[in-house]
Amino acid sequence: MKETKNIVLAEDNTTLSQLLKFRLQKEGYTTFVAQDGKQALELIELQKPNLILTDIMMPFISGLEVISHVRNKLQLQTPIIVFSAAGQEEMVLKAFNLGATDFMAKPFSPNELIIRIKRILT
Amino acid sequence: METFKILQNYFQQLPIELKLVWVLSAVLTVLAIIFTVYLKFLRNTLREKDVLSVKYQHKYESELLSYLFEESDEGELSNSQNEFIKTIQSKCDNKFKRKIIVETLLKLKNEVSGEIEIAIQNLYLKSNLKEHAYQQLKSKNWCIVANGIKELAQFKVKEAYPEVKKLIKYPKKEVRKEVELYLVSLFHFEGLDFLNNLKINLSEWDQIELLEELKNFDNQEIPDITLWLNSKNDSVVSFSLKLAKIYNKYETVETLLELLNHKNQKIRIQVIDVLTHLQVLDAKEILKNNFKKSSEEEQIAIFKMLENIYEPNDEAFIVENSTHKNFEIQYLALKILKSINEKTFNKLASESNYYNNNVVLKFVQNN
Repeated sequence: MKETKNIVLAEDNTTLSQLLKFRLQKEGYTTFVAQDGKQALELIELQKPNLILTDIMMPFISGLEVISHVRNKLQLQTPIIVFSAAGQEEMVLKAFNLGATDFMAKPFSPNELIIRIKRILT
Repeated sequence: METFKILQNYFQQLPIELKLVWVLSAVLTVLAIIFTVYLKFLRNTLREKDVLSVKYQHKYESELLSYLFEESDEGELSNSQNEFIKTIQSKCDNKFKRKIIVETLLKLKNEVSGEIEIAIQNLYLKSNLKEHAYQQLKSKNWCIVANGIKELAQFKVKEAYPEVKKLIKYPKKEVRKEVELYLVSLFHFEGLDFLNNLKINLSEWDQIELLEELKNFDNQEIPDITLWLNSKNDSVVSFSLKLAKIYNKYETVETLLELLNHKNQKIRIQVIDVLTHLQVLDAKEILKNNFKKSSEEEQIAIFKMLENIYEPNDEAFIVENSTHKNFEIQYLALKILKSINEKTFNKLASESNYYNNNVVLKFVQNN
């Protein structure tokens, strides 16, 4: 039986997170949604996902801190895709320096995101 | 009863000042109780409203997602999709629910692009939401009008152009700003034609917002701005000068040279800055000839221009002004002179009495 891949999605916009969850589940991925960075770290430690999707700007713990925690404290090489808003180019550079795998600037196409996820996870 | 009578007698015996204090205390106590009860009521109402708002938001979110991912025949909406549109239409008259629906749509629309964005856009147009935004434009409350325009801009309703354009001279600047942003965000550079007849001041903040909006477009072909450069409205001239600088409008040089005689000093200084950016050498000679008639601020701007586009034949002019009373001009003159001809610079520097302020000279010498 084919093993389903786990994805942790950290996004504080509930409408967007629900949409992405719906879309990812349709593609056969098991998705765990966190509404802030703190929840995201808990889910990452608990679920050991195959991929992490995280927004940069989030309450409590930012996306950058999530990347740093995953790479430096947990010592995990899980691929991480970050979402950034327009004008956050500096943040994106910081995210790459911390170990992000890819990024998507908002507004983004969910179809394009799925293509990138498939490419990373195959 | 007895106690009340005792209190009444006591009160009547009191001097008038004390009576007043007692009455005032009683009134304030009653008011404090009323306000406390009112605040408690208000807080509860707001909390209930928040809870209700979250509840509806979740409800509409899941209905919206079902609508967006519903499988349907090519170009045709399914029954459940039509049902959702009807639901929205029925909720439109309820201001509270309408607000939540619009917020939910925008929350997603601002974050996604492609098919889903188009689907949300179509949903907005097919439901009665657009008509309600049109209604808001007719409100007597400026805040509602501004919100209506903003919503039409966010959902890219180009058909609202005639109604929105009428509001360009609205007395409240917040409304005018929304109109300007609507025009530019939907019609790009063509939307700037409101500048042709603009009589009202375009604030610095408005100008920044417009420039920020213009940066978002793929097509950066800006139309002819000569008309705006010649506007009688100084804020329009200032804005078009910013456009000339950002979009390198070399074809406007002739108009820019004429603007060196503009009545407003701020505009003249801004023109010098744009000419510097465009590296217009012709401007340099005109400015040098008019140097003595210019204000000190303009003289500084002229020297900043020279710093960027100096030539060897500027030497005499620079030497002449190297003892200028203004610190900034003197500093710039010495700095340029050192770059053009170090020998002349050293010769002047050796004439100890030539400069009143040796600190500037020593600073330029050592840097």
